[in-house]
Amino acid sequence: MLTCENLTFRYDRSGLPVLNGASLELKQGEIGILLGKNGSGKTTLFKNILGLNKPSGGAIRFDGENLLKMPRRERARRIAYVPQDIRFGALSVFDSILMGRVSYFGLKASPEDYTAVEKILRDMHLESYAQRNVDELSGGERQKIAIARAMAQEPRLMVFDEPTGNLDIANEQLIIEEAKKLAREKNISILSSLHDLNQAMYFGDKFFFLKNGVVKYAGGKEIITEEVIRDIFDIDVKITEIDNRKVILNGNLLAS
Amino acid sequence: MEIINSLRARNRRNTIVMVAMVIAVLVLGIGCLFVGSSNMTAADCWAALNKTGTPANVRIIWNIRIPRVLAAIIAGAGLGLSGLIMQTTLNNPMASPSTLGVSNAAVFGANLSIIAFAGGYLATGNNLSNYTTGANPYATGVMAFLFAAVSILMILSLCTLRAFSPNVVVLAGMALSSVWTAATTILQFYATDVGISAAVVWSFGDLGRATYRTDAIMAAVVLVGFGFFMIMSWQFNALLSGEATARTMGINVDLLRFVSMLLASLITAVCVSFLGVIGFVGIICPHVTKKLLGQDHRVTIPVSALSGSLLLLFADTLSRSMGGGSALPVGAITSLLGAPFFLTIIFSRKENRRC
Repeated sequence: MLTCENLTFRYDRSGLPVLNGASLELKQGEIGILLGKNGSGKTTLFKNILGLNKPSGGAIRFDGENLLKMPRRERARRIAYVPQDIRFGALSVFDSILMGRVSYFGLKASPEDYTAVEKILRDMHLESYAQRNVDELSGGERQKIAIARAMAQEPRLMVFDEPTGNLDIANEQLIIEEAKKLAREKNISILSSLHDLNQAMYFGDKFFFLKNGVVKYAGGKEIITEEVIRDIFDIDVKITEIDNRKVILNGNLLAS
Repeated sequence: MEIINSLRARNRRNTIVMVAMVIAVLVLGIGCLFVGSSNMTAADCWAALNKTGTPANVRIIWNIRIPRVLAAIIAGAGLGLSGLIMQTTLNNPMASPSTLGVSNAAVFGANLSIIAFAGGYLATGNNLSNYTTGANPYATGVMAFLFAAVSILMILSLCTLRAFSPNVVVLAGMALSSVWTAATTILQFYATDVGISAAVVWSFGDLGRATYRTDAIMAAVVLVGFGFFMIMSWQFNALLSGEATARTMGINVDLLRFVSMLLASLITAVCVSFLGVIGFVGIICPHVTKKLLGQDHRVTIPVSALSGSLLLLFADTLSRSMGGGSALPVGAITSLLGAPFFLTIIFSRKENRRC
């Protein structure tokens, strides 16, 4: 469904390339996780896919269509974004989600848009929030509203930038579950960055390890090995199994 | 269906607020016709309104007070509106209608007109009576507008180089404003006593300069801006979620910013050129509106405009009744009145993240 081929990107003409021939492929309904050190090019790759930056070379295709030439509203109906820094303005939860429909209605929301938002509120058990001001909600609740807003775009792909970056453990778990549930139920693909490798293994189907602007390793859980993590993050880890699930113990845990 | 019904109740509340404000503007506007420095009684005013009073009174009401009240309503709405739009498009609560250097450029243009051409020593010498006959109010207004327009175009064309990054726009506006201020200072340094005092008085801001014609021009620009901003209210709402997110929702952020800043600045340019500098309306009204009613632009656009009208009407009425025969500068009154109210709202216990 989503194919990035040999993407290159540099912020300054004279500067070093941030993306240096990055390629990845994601199928419909798959959850892909982007992993890599800070500065490895994850955010830049997201920005290229979302149309916020234009790659200087390579191609991005969505179901065979050239994403770089797609009109912005068409693109918004296919790909939705849940940023790390979530902002809404002082709007009600209902209006904040309705905002996600703007690529459909343009200037004035129609009754169908209202019905669509109502359905999302019901599906995500957010009915009681409809009239509340988003600014009054907690971090986890705001994250959930941001996902609801992205759902209102009726996307086929959702891009998450560090979805759990500002959350406590309980909310982190909740948001991952929610996103995973939506992806499975609605057959929506997800491309997300995550720092926590264990969360990543639980969340994702496919993993892309970025180093120096290139996807160096790509594949299912089986590619996550101690050697790969050492190569990508320059740290020693131990991979073990608890209850038949792979668990990564990082350096600090190993030392203790 | 329950949710939709509860939304209807909220929309009804917003409509009631707006209708109440329209009524308040009308009542205050009509009330203002009865206040002034000419010692007319209410009965005199009523008679003059019906064109049955003395010719002098009829002239005062129809040629002075009505254009003045209309100017307060129109300019107040325009300044409130353009302040809100500048704050949203630049994602900066400190942004004001003059962020692109509009006011300073207009002041320079007016100074140039007064000091160097129409009323200054070049045309009439340092002689007050000559100044009065030599000065042409339209020439000053036109010059003020021309320079304001030049300032807007300079910044907007400069900023196309950097894709309208809000910080770049604000900083470029500050830089250009200081250039206009410096140029004005140099001009005033070479001015005669009469020229400089005329120029300073011009910059005070005075609704008494309004005529039906200037009101009509201001109204046309404000209405075009209002219509455009209302149509785009959802796009402005989307902008509240951050530039990147708005883009991923399909909004053409650069184009929206360009057209909005152009229109907002033009509204300011027209108002400042005809009436002089009237500060603070464009900052206080949007902030109070957002604080009390949230940030939904379907509501804040009309309410910021109406609250601008109310503030300017109220300030103008006070300025006319406090001046002891001549009106105090209305810009000073808007700040004097507005600042304490503004501070009260800002420091109130109510949720503070809305500004």
